[in-house]
Amino acid sequence: MASISASDVKQIVVACEAGMGSSVMVARQLAKQLKNEGITVVHAPVHELKETPHEIVLVHRGLSARAKQAVPDSVVIIFDMFLGDLNIAQLVGALQNGDTISDG
Amino acid sequence: MSDFIPSGGGGQTGFRARLQHLGGNLAGMVIPNIGAFIAWGLLTALFIPTGWLPNENFSSMVGPMILNLLPILIGYTGGRIVHGQRGAVIGSIATVGVIVGTDIPMFLGAMIIGPLMAWILKYIDKVLDPITPPGFEMLIGNFSLGIAGMLGAMLGYLGIGPIVAAITDVLGSGVSWLVDNSLLPIASVLIEPAKILFMNNAINHGVLGPLGVVQAEETGESILFMLETNPGPGLGILIAFWLAGPKLLRGSAPGAIIIHFFGGIHEIYFPYVLMKPQVVLGAIVGGAVGVATFMVTGVGLVATPSPGSIFAYMAVTPSGNHLGVLLGIALSAAASFVVSWFILKLSKVDASEADFEAAKTRSKEMKAGK
Repeated sequence: MASISASDVKQIVVACEAGMGSSVMVARQLAKQLKNEGITVVHAPVHELKETPHEIVLVHRGLSARAKQAVPDSVVIIFDMFLGDLNIAQLVGALQNGDTISDG
Repeated sequence: MSDFIPSGGGGQTGFRARLQHLGGNLAGMVIPNIGAFIAWGLLTALFIPTGWLPNENFSSMVGPMILNLLPILIGYTGGRIVHGQRGAVIGSIATVGVIVGTDIPMFLGAMIIGPLMAWILKYIDKVLDPITPPGFEMLIGNFSLGIAGMLGAMLGYLGIGPIVAAITDVLGSGVSWLVDNSLLPIASVLIEPAKILFMNNAINHGVLGPLGVVQAEETGESILFMLETNPGPGLGILIAFWLAGPKLLRGSAPGAIIIHFFGGIHEIYFPYVLMKPQVVLGAIVGGAVGVATFMVTGVGLVATPSPGSIFAYMAVTPSGNHLGVLLGIALSAAASFVVSWFILKLSKVDASEADFEAAKTRSKEMKAGK
């Protein structure tokens, strides 16, 4: 199971199928929340995850299988809701508190 | 809640992940080019003889765009996904062979030959790279691409073009048969559940869109563009969740409605359905009512509305079709709302509290650094 310390996180990538729709929306929301942490949030299609620099991958449960296949060694956070998701809220909290973050 | 979502934790390298992967690749060739589709769709809606502002000069761009530009862009993007810029170039070259070999918009052909030729070039490069003498990289690189591209265009002209044209013909007459026998609404039984499982882009851009443009090229409009993209069923479901859903979900529903209906990001309502899978019945009924309405009123769109927002819908609706299109969207939203509302009311056992407890436990585990 992959894990990473919050202080090592420089870039988070949000993945969706085409990398143009839902991932952009989630990425922009998250970027706003993490502005003070100095963490950039980008978006990408699942098939370009490997080429996108990142410390954490954020992906919807429906695409999580393909995300894990693409980057098996990365920390992959899975979310269920595009608005008000608990896992995303936890991720933000962990990053702000400087906790260790692992797959989930 | 995660129990309901099939691609969850464990062994998900199965059939669905593979199908999704293939579909993702089909959609991945189309979606980056949607801007060009919109330009073409607007030109068509405005300037063709039955459009808003008929103009012979401007409408002369409609044919070359749909027959040449859009397939080449698809072949280009398909090649780029497989083998970068060189793949993109050879994909475009080969797509021209497919295009001139037939007289219908060759989206499917481009989706096949673009990645195929890029894949072949990738292997050619793998063989030639190690044996290329220093200083000859450019010469060999350009000529290997040029020669392989020429052969690929010939292959497209002689092989892929005619085969895909024949397949499109069969599929097209299958669709006409469904329309003629008033059976098209049954398609919703397949489309709506598949959509919820994140195959929405694959279905629309991989299958329905390419068939739709063939029809639109002949008759000026197609109902196929509306089968998957209708925002009505999702709207009805979200309103039902807002009024009668689990308490935990009600708060986010209004925001989701705006993003879904106006922003056109349908993905936002899939998780709601996945948490209450019975609600998919609402989506199916709503979808079928919508398709039936579109069929009875005889409306179609000139291009794929992408994203599936009400604004995109209005932009690609040809003049005279607006009433039928809006009626279909409204009726499908109403139907899916009524069905979903009853399902949510009947399944009064509120799963959200259990979910919330589970989520809290998970949160504690996470904080403990497990």
